[in-house]
Amino acid sequence: MGRAAETFATLFFLVTLTFALAHAVPDGPAYAILGLKAGPDRVRALNAQLGLDATVWGQYATWWWHVLHANLGISYLQNRPVVSVIGAYAGRTAVLYSVATGLAVVAAMGLGWLHGVFYRSWAGRVCSAIEIFLYAMPGFFIATVLGMVFSSWLHLLPAAGMVDLHQAAPGFGDRAAHMVLPAASIALFVAPWLARIFAQGVHEELSRDYVRTAQARGVGFGSILLRHVTPNAIRPMVTMLGLSLPAIFSGNVVVESVFDYPGIGWLLWRSAVAHDYPVLVGIVLVVGVATMLGNLAADLVNAWLDPRVTYAA
Amino acid sequence: MRRDWVAGVAPLMLLLLFCVLGPVVWPADPAALDAGAPLARPCLAYPLGTDALGRDELARLIHGGRETLSVAVPATLLAFMLGTGYGLIAGFAPRIAARVLMRLLDALLALPSLVVLLCGAALLPRTGFTVSVLIGVTAWPGLARLVRTEMVSLRGRDFAHAARQLGADPLHMARRHFLPNIARLLGVNATFLLGDSVLALSALSFLGLGVPPPAASWGSMLQSGIGLMDLGAWWLILPPGFLIAGSLFAAAAVGRMFFSEEKEQKTFALRWRKG
Repeated sequence: MGRAAETFATLFFLVTLTFALAHAVPDGPAYAILGLKAGPDRVRALNAQLGLDATVWGQYATWWWHVLHANLGISYLQNRPVVSVIGAYAGRTAVLYSVATGLAVVAAMGLGWLHGVFYRSWAGRVCSAIEIFLYAMPGFFIATVLGMVFSSWLHLLPAAGMVDLHQAAPGFGDRAAHMVLPAASIALFVAPWLARIFAQGVHEELSRDYVRTAQARGVGFGSILLRHVTPNAIRPMVTMLGLSLPAIFSGNVVVESVFDYPGIGWLLWRSAVAHDYPVLVGIVLVVGVATMLGNLAADLVNAWLDPRVTYAA
Repeated sequence: MRRDWVAGVAPLMLLLLFCVLGPVVWPADPAALDAGAPLARPCLAYPLGTDALGRDELARLIHGGRETLSVAVPATLLAFMLGTGYGLIAGFAPRIAARVLMRLLDALLALPSLVVLLCGAALLPRTGFTVSVLIGVTAWPGLARLVRTEMVSLRGRDFAHAARQLGADPLHMARRHFLPNIARLLGVNATFLLGDSVLALSALSFLGLGVPPPAASWGSMLQSGIGLMDLGAWWLILPPGFLIAGSLFAAAAVGRMFFSEEKEQKTFALRWRKG
């Protein structure tokens, strides 16, 4: 089975899973909307209105039809289409995510170079210890400690929201300041593992024949590291980044909750607390699809970095 | 070798001792209120200070640890059985069925576990039992994929062919040939799952969707510490956080004891942490 067919098969299961999830709402959605004291007549009327009186297979077909038309229902809480609710929050998360991932990759490469070059010496051991220490830290703990140190104690950075609500027209500087702590938290929690994999790559590549050849030709060490070793060592890291998208998203949920950053993770949290089921199901679907596309993108980047890598279409 | 063994198991043992023997060593009541000393700094009477209601933080941490383990250990067992079972079935299944099972696994792995956990916590009534089941049901896919990968490599070996030629049925093959061969891998992954379960429960409790009060877990204690952050009450934030981190570190330490660095990369790649 080719890569594309695999992706479609996984998509099929994902849509089916979300259908099952929507059906797992206790006592059916009518009671969630009308309250537990609703009379049977009103429940029956609403069920008919929602199409819940059809057979399960009919409902399943309708679910597919709606998903393919980007119709994920109406939010109980906001009374707006789920797609537009998610769209509004997803944009903010995309910005946070990109900044955080960029930071994480830069940090991971810095630490990874140091660790990879001095792999067996004390400097490498120190790097390794730092990686393991950060690896064991849960995302919400990193976020809490950063907030405590930089906001509560040092009063350097804001620890809540996306803009300062006291300002009439918050500018770019204000937005950037609110972005620092959440982005740094996610980056600190993603970077150590990427650094470890990058370091192993650097260490392995440094012992290859082409490195010795380059040295014999008189190429400087910096040039060997940057132009020869790094492009090869970076591939496992890209794959890892693609594979860890779900984990990063989980971290994103808690970090957004800690810093009250109104992104999709925060929305997920609030919807779970408020029992807004259509939004919950919508987020599961959107995040699942985004993750799969992320994995696909990681594979494509790898194929671009190394022409020898091919994935059957 | 012996030193490796001690370094690998010691963190886990220390944590378990803290939870199991804690009440014997420090028999203070975690629920007793001391109205005279709310938010007391760490001192002789309260080694880790008190919270906003004047409750002994150390005693709360010990009992929070027991609460955490009482949810995380059953969750680990459930996830372990589901993951091993699914992996074995996918390993024995004929080609087409195996592919379908693996794609289903991909769909499950594509979902961030915290997303599923939050949905489940919103859908189900939250008791220790349901939270435990919920965590167990979301934690297994990584292990299932690992078991299946090992099975694919094992079933092509000579001993497997020989056993099959002699008429061994799948149940016998699994019990006598495959499971003993992956026992070490399973043992390490059971520890990983315990770390994952503690983390999942802590994240849920941290978000206010774990086991509801009066039960306290490390995650909910960390959450309540955040509200008092501006009062400078670091003793309500750092200890629970480091205990959660310690559980993850302990799990990783056991894993490192068994695997060389090359293997480490492969093993960790499929079961990356969740929050």
